[in-house]
Amino acid sequence: MAGKPPTEQLLSLYEDMLRVRFFEEKIDRELFPAGLIRGLTHLYIGQEATGVGVIRALEPQDYVLSTHRGHGHCLIRGSPPVRVFAEIMGRRDGLCRGKGGSMHLCDIATNFVGANPVVGADIPIGAGLAFAAKYLENGRIAAVFFGDGAMNTGAFHETANLASLWKLPLFLICENNRYAISVSLERSSAVTDLADRAAAYGMWHDTVDGMRVWDVFEAARRAAEVCRSHQQPVLLVANTYRFVGHYTRDTLRYRPPEEARDEFREHDPIHLAERELSDDCGVSVDVLVELRERVKREIDEAAEEAQKSAPPPVEWAMEDVYGDDR
Amino acid sequence: MATIAEGAARPGGVREVAYALAVRTALREEMLRDERVFLTGEDIGVYGGVYGATRGLLREFGEKRVRDTPISEAAIAGMAVGAAIGGLLPVAEIMYCDFLSIALDAIANNAAKLRYMSGGQLSIPMVIRTSAGGHGYAAQHSQSLETWVTHIPGLKVVMPGTCADARGLLKSAIRDPGPVVVIEHKALYSTTGAMPAEETLEPIGVARVTREGKDVTVVSWSAMAGTCLDAAQELAADGIEAEVIDLRTLLPADYETVVASVRKTGRLVVAHEAVTYCGFGAEVVAQLTERAWASLKAPPVRVGSRFAPIPFAEPLETHVVAGKPEVVAAVLACVRGGGGRA
Repeated sequence: MAGKPPTEQLLSLYEDMLRVRFFEEKIDRELFPAGLIRGLTHLYIGQEATGVGVIRALEPQDYVLSTHRGHGHCLIRGSPPVRVFAEIMGRRDGLCRGKGGSMHLCDIATNFVGANPVVGADIPIGAGLAFAAKYLENGRIAAVFFGDGAMNTGAFHETANLASLWKLPLFLICENNRYAISVSLERSSAVTDLADRAAAYGMWHDTVDGMRVWDVFEAARRAAEVCRSHQQPVLLVANTYRFVGHYTRDTLRYRPPEEARDEFREHDPIHLAERELSDDCGVSVDVLVELRERVKREIDEAAEEAQKSAPPPVEWAMEDVYGDDR
Repeated sequence: MATIAEGAARPGGVREVAYALAVRTALREEMLRDERVFLTGEDIGVYGGVYGATRGLLREFGEKRVRDTPISEAAIAGMAVGAAIGGLLPVAEIMYCDFLSIALDAIANNAAKLRYMSGGQLSIPMVIRTSAGGHGYAAQHSQSLETWVTHIPGLKVVMPGTCADARGLLKSAIRDPGPVVVIEHKALYSTTGAMPAEETLEPIGVARVTREGKDVTVVSWSAMAGTCLDAAQELAADGIEAEVIDLRTLLPADYETVVASVRKTGRLVVAHEAVTYCGFGAEVVAQLTERAWASLKAPPVRVGSRFAPIPFAEPLETHVVAGKPEVVAAVLACVRGGGGRA
């Protein structure tokens, strides 16, 4: 890494990572076990540096699209944690009126166009937003997150070709967490250096250590700049790891238990940022502890508040089916 | 193709045009009206569409608004969803409805649901133009697959069977705030029919009674609606007066018009080119038995294609794909008893 990052900026990125980590831990340790969340929930624990580094490098008017593992992206983009919790718990004050849930978060106020749990589906949609931005000349870019698994979908390849051909301002971010549910990258992809795929479409690309938030931030800033100023698609592959299961009930039988333990010990993005803040930037432990406690309190309060929100009234079930029914 | 006499009542009179020109007229009018309208799809630009429905539009509107795409149906449809969210009005062509299979994730899982799942935050004002039916194209280029999309809440589905509707329904589809699938008919593109000289919008969700009659109600859509009019002529010679309804929109369908007709005639035949089994005709029959059971004097009869892939050789195709003889036989069976063809 070149040079030491500005302290205030790194602290701010660190705070965002904490917010996501505490949010997900709240779900994992309290809300889900208490039966307050239905269905499937996919946690972002371990991948925080990627989401924070990329999203913080974007402009407010840019579009962000995400996957089934989208709580973090939604929070980093600026949605109030209480409304995200409420949505995940299916409450009326949720971002989507309780009709989307964990896998379909959307907040148009932050241009978080949404989480999309059909693997790869967000990629052509993002290209469409990039097309609209170019068509309307509004200077926006569309940042699309997806995993290593999505790199094998037809939607990725069709879109990569089209976006390069049409020179769309599309920022593709592959969060390579090494597993597509249970199947490892080595067992699913003929090419494991995923950025190589971009070469086939003549696309600008870069690879970054997705566990180091400042590195991701810098790489994303460069990629976004190329994307916006040259009006062309870019692919940033961030190599990361999820410390938890694919979803909240995952048995994890497909990977050795020590793998996650070792990854956590050596590459936890939050520990790495803390070390950098204290060793390189001279931030005192007291400051870090205080920050952790403040963010933790904020998340605890948001979860409390969200539980006070009532379930949506049944009349809402038949609204928004069509564009003209409400 | 049969013309619609009712169309003559419109101001400005009518003119004879090809169905493909009617489509093109709608696209051109809407592109002139609103700069956010753009076209995307395979062979729609330089080539002008494999049936000529977009001919000349590239020259008139330029490459920014008329986009020849690679053969990438998933990306065509997915990008249309994104472009709609981003403030444009995409009209995406999927050349044959058989290829909807490759684009269905974007259509059925995304275009249809993003508004709902976002709690009304997103709007997806997009059109998918595609084509059904046809002759001589065999099993993968001539299916009528409307039920693939009528089963999905969030979509609207129209199937114009006349030139006036090809233009008027497409214009309404482009102006609709949500996703609309417009299924045209390959055998109609080169046929001519009446189209109002003036710009006319045909409302989505409104059926049209194209022939009045007292003995039996025949409901159809797309090219088969014209076939049913021809069948009604033939039946009239036998003393049977069929009332023919062109449903035009399948989702949301105008059952009130059908109910009103069945209350008068007491008999119902539904005819379509898609296979009978699990075809949309089953839904029409179910709706009518629920809504007008007391008025029915005979069991409703469905007419559709046989439950086989569409074969290539002409006699086989004729055997499988329903046409006028099957409609006539079904109406006779319904009116005189004895059951229709399955």
